[in-house]
Amino acid sequence: MGSVASAAAPPSPHSALPQEGAPPYGPGLAGILPQTSVGEEKKEEKVDYLNLLCPVPFEEIQREALMSLKPELFEGLRFDFTKGLNQKFSLSHSVFMGSLEVPAQGSETIKVPTAHYEFGANFLDPKLMLIGRVMTDGRLNARVKCDLTDNLMLKVNAQLTQEAHYSQGMFNFDYKGSDYRAQFQIGNNAFYGANYIQSVTPNLSMGTEMFWLGHQRKSGIGFACRYNTDKMVGTLQVASTGIVALSYVQKISEKVSLASDFMYNHMSRDVTSSFGYDYLLRQCRLRGKIDSNGVVAAYLEERLNMGVNFLLSAEIDHCKKNYKFGFGMTVGE
Amino acid sequence: MGSSVSQAGAPPPHPPTYASTPPFAPAAADAADAAAAPPPKPHEEEATEEKVDYLNLPCPVPYEEIQREAFMALKPDLFEGMRFDLTKMITPYFALTHSVAMGSIEIPAQGSEVIKVPTSNYEFGANFINQRTMLMGRVSHEGRENIRVKHDITDNLSLKINAQLTSEPHYSQGMLNFDYKGKDFRSQVQFGNNGFYGANYIQSVSKNLSLGTEAFWLGQQRKSGVGVVARYDTKKMVATAQIATTGMVALSYVQKVSEKVSLASDFMYNQMTKDVTASFGYDYMLRQCRLRGKLDTNGVISSLLEERLTPGVTFQLSAELDHWKKDYKFGFGMALGE
Repeated sequence: MGSVASAAAPPSPHSALPQEGAPPYGPGLAGILPQTSVGEEKKEEKVDYLNLLCPVPFEEIQREALMSLKPELFEGLRFDFTKGLNQKFSLSHSVFMGSLEVPAQGSETIKVPTAHYEFGANFLDPKLMLIGRVMTDGRLNARVKCDLTDNLMLKVNAQLTQEAHYSQGMFNFDYKGSDYRAQFQIGNNAFYGANYIQSVTPNLSMGTEMFWLGHQRKSGIGFACRYNTDKMVGTLQVASTGIVALSYVQKISEKVSLASDFMYNHMSRDVTSSFGYDYLLRQCRLRGKIDSNGVVAAYLEERLNMGVNFLLSAEIDHCKKNYKFGFGMTVGE
Repeated sequence: MGSSVSQAGAPPPHPPTYASTPPFAPAAADAADAAAAPPPKPHEEEATEEKVDYLNLPCPVPYEEIQREAFMALKPDLFEGMRFDLTKMITPYFALTHSVAMGSIEIPAQGSEVIKVPTSNYEFGANFINQRTMLMGRVSHEGRENIRVKHDITDNLSLKINAQLTSEPHYSQGMLNFDYKGKDFRSQVQFGNNGFYGANYIQSVSKNLSLGTEAFWLGQQRKSGVGVVARYDTKKMVATAQIATTGMVALSYVQKVSEKVSLASDFMYNQMTKDVTASFGYDYMLRQCRLRGKLDTNGVISSLLEERLTPGVTFQLSAELDHWKKDYKFGFGMALGE
């Protein structure tokens, strides 16, 4: 669910709601928005600041870019089968067979064939969602989402393994206000986090987060900003861990979206930028991407019949000379 | 061009191909029956054979192709990763091809673990096909060259050349082949590098049965061998047997279940290494796609799907699972212009 632990300077004072009818605040907002101040001034005089929309959750501010730029690429064969037992309960079976990259000395890439089977059970209710996955090597993945009240939601994520000290868990309380969201997170290894995001104008929302990793005795703060219209989404994220992330998605037409993102890590001096497209046709969806690490990827999903999808996945890493190709089928989704 | 050279066995008894007087026809038929396994219905066979025109038997298939139906079903061109082939016709006789393959190849590893590394390959090819001459060349970006030539010197005599040239010394190979096609027999003489000499002869014995023999000499290894083959085919089935002094025994059987479905099986036994493998496969031909699959005693299950999306555009899916070695290979590809 998005990325925690990204923080930056304290949020702009504009996160506070300006009082309606206070003319001196109008020109100040123009400095933030990319539109002309005159036009902005006129529009702002009509904006109803007491009825702003609720922003997207903090960890999802980049969701449009992630959809285009990070499809679920795989190598080998993938087969997913979902069987609905009743309106709310379904079982799923997943088979994966392919190659797994193992760490190797030198720049050579080494792979070994691997295969695993995953069994899943899903329970979906308007107020409650339970998802469980068990794998052949004993790993268990559990997700719970429960609406405690109309505004308060509890989320639980857990990954349990047989290896000692490798299990993880996370509790998440999500409060949804009329034009803001707040979250409080508790995780194992003494992880505590909190974030808050507020709509500032109908198109702009800003947020902040902070976290504490008890075992590593490390803390951080982060800042996030999102501007979206019907046609575009732009996001910015800065954190005291040294992460800077920008993304921009433009909807060219009803069927085509273009996406780009930029990641910079001040600590490791690592920088990556990506460009991708998302092509939605009547019976298929094609996503592709190219990034500055020399990776070219494409992912095709085609609906053969109602409930039967055919998948093709391709990823070429020119710098590392690594190639991954796979095909698969999804039945029953 | 399937290759099963270097197989030998006892020379087969060769019945006479002519029968000048009627009383000798049954005798020749009996000799032929003694040479091969006795047919299941000797009386019916005897009656049928009395009408066989031994002077007009059909020409048998080439010696190295006697198992071609089993090969088509049981040995499809499987691959891992991605494959893209483009064929461009320049003139009705001349075509250029471009092939790209990207995927993983297995490298030898100590222990039973399977280790792979990613690899990629580009190949450029040129084809010239004429009524009497066929020239095919393939150059790989690593400098490997593959050449095939076929030329009809006369109506009955063909010259064939196969060569693989590499940049590594002593790894290049070449083979020269003279193929003589008679009315109801075929014979071949082969010359290869490293002092290889081979010859084979195959003869139609009845309308459905042909027998053949081959001999070869590997000069550098100072090894020789002889082999014998038999092939029995009707419209609905093909059965073959092959034995060689190298200890190789190979049997195959293909049954055409319907116009669209064929079932195939084969059996390989090597007396020297005590290695034995049996395979079972199917070949399913539909209107726009062809599906072939196979299962063998080494625990390998494989499948190849070729679907024609539009005329000249073929989509391929390849899958191979080796349960014993825990090795899995999956790939997809596209061929344009074939």
